[in-house]
Amino acid sequence: MIASVQFKHFKALRATSVRMEPFNLVIGPNGSGKTSLIQACLRMRALLRQPLPAAGEPPGARRPDKGPEIVIRFAPPYADITVHLGGRTEHSLDFIEVRHPRTDEGRARWEQLRDWLGGIRAYLFDHYAMAEPVALAEGGELASNGRNIAAVLAGMRDHLPDTFRRFEAEFCRALPDFTAVDARWAGEGRVELALRLREDGEWVTAENISQGGLYALAVLTLSFAPQPPTVLCLEEADRGVHPRLLREVRDALYRLSYPESFGERREAVQIVATTHSPYLLDLFRDHPEEIVIANKSGRSATFERLGDRPELKAVLGDSSLGDLWFSGILGGVPEDE
Amino acid sequence: MRRRPMKVALLSESMADETALRVLVEAVLGEPIELVQPSLRARGWPNVAQVLPSILRHLYFNTATDALAVVVDADDSPVHTEVHEAPGYFHPQCRLCQLRSVFRKTQRNFAPRAGRERVLRGVGIAVPAIEAWYLCGTDPAVTEEAWLKGQAAGVAPYTRRDLKMRVYGTDRPSLGFEIQKAMECVRRYQVDTRRLEADFPDGFGRLARDLRTWRRPANPEEGGPAGG
Repeated sequence: MIASVQFKHFKALRATSVRMEPFNLVIGPNGSGKTSLIQACLRMRALLRQPLPAAGEPPGARRPDKGPEIVIRFAPPYADITVHLGGRTEHSLDFIEVRHPRTDEGRARWEQLRDWLGGIRAYLFDHYAMAEPVALAEGGELASNGRNIAAVLAGMRDHLPDTFRRFEAEFCRALPDFTAVDARWAGEGRVELALRLREDGEWVTAENISQGGLYALAVLTLSFAPQPPTVLCLEEADRGVHPRLLREVRDALYRLSYPESFGERREAVQIVATTHSPYLLDLFRDHPEEIVIANKSGRSATFERLGDRPELKAVLGDSSLGDLWFSGILGGVPEDE
Repeated sequence: MRRRPMKVALLSESMADETALRVLVEAVLGEPIELVQPSLRARGWPNVAQVLPSILRHLYFNTATDALAVVVDADDSPVHTEVHEAPGYFHPQCRLCQLRSVFRKTQRNFAPRAGRERVLRGVGIAVPAIEAWYLCGTDPAVTEEAWLKGQAAGVAPYTRRDLKMRVYGTDRPSLGFEIQKAMECVRRYQVDTRRLEADFPDGFGRLARDLRTWRRPANPEEGGPAGG
């Protein structure tokens, strides 16, 4: 698990750090660094795909003297390994350095961690792309915009029928307008997403399904994936979803980050989700440690974990988290002129 | 002649709570209800008290709703007790007192409409959370009395998280699992709610007493139907 990320001179994140939990819901105004946190994770994954200098040897590329510096630390058993990202301008990250013990055991653990970091994924769903027929062969892992969801679900239906039935039952409970989910043959080796309406049993294709319905379907698909990401970054987790359905979105993400709470035996997925929805925030009242507030002041932004505030319980009182966030007393709101 | 089922609206904090509340209301009334649609929902306290006046006006003027049952968690607020029942008494932090006050003030000036003068009232408070009701009869340590003693001593006998762990085995249950467990737990009271009323006299017991006034003819000694 990523334990912390420390930023210097990266976009609005001039000097701040954030401790990472299994589940992290990041709130804050536009331009406060929420997406930059996700970009740092993605850039680390991308740079790690390239050949690195042998362990213990100096990095091949000279580390820029100026520009951003990001230090990523990890939870045990990788607590003695750090990843350093740098760049030539405050908007770029094109340098990586890994520091780990110069022993065979240390190198072996780094290779394990490197594999794990290769599983970082970020999602921003595109309902138009999801509605298009897709080649059945493109199943497997859900694409970052969800465009191959029909092929992914076809694979789950054909190879993991029990999982698919549980997924389908969960979706139809959350959206009771529907009674079945399927990936139907669309010709030329392609499949398309279709849902059966409860009212008249008619099947409708994805282009006739609401944007929010498709996004909820995509999040649920991820939560039932046999091999989910190791770190899942989800931008605007509330996007298009009715406030009353946000509980289902939270549950789907919790299924990934706390699998034992859902009776599942697999590795937990670390979640980094962003939102602008006070209604979604309300659902985390019992777990303020999962909330990261991005505060913006002028052109610079800092992170703060809500659960770290010692006076939190007294401040919260009876009020809802969402209302308090909107009021401004939690921070994470736009500055007035 | 067979009576039509009462048209009842339920207001609670989640779909799981609403599922449990419906079973409990029907158990006390001894007959099925017709649930008002679309279902009502509030975003926890204090949102319940904030939206309640508008909900009452909507139910009275726009629907043929007979009654509204409201249940919220007490959390750490003062528990409603017999003292609060004294005529004219109002505890400003007691959620049951507050909700009753909203019913009373909102409906005070309603003009008679469609043969009724108000939406009948049913108010309950789950002390400290609805999971305590689910544990009634299976965990003798979970009662209103235990909670009150704990409050007086400054040491809560259990927390909301404890209750969730005992009911769901996790403090992050899915909504589907919450509904499933709610149904499993409250089914025990479909025939007889006396144990729940005995262990939670001021949270569930007050709700049950409200509900039992709904079908009775007005009785001056009992104050008539609970209408606010």
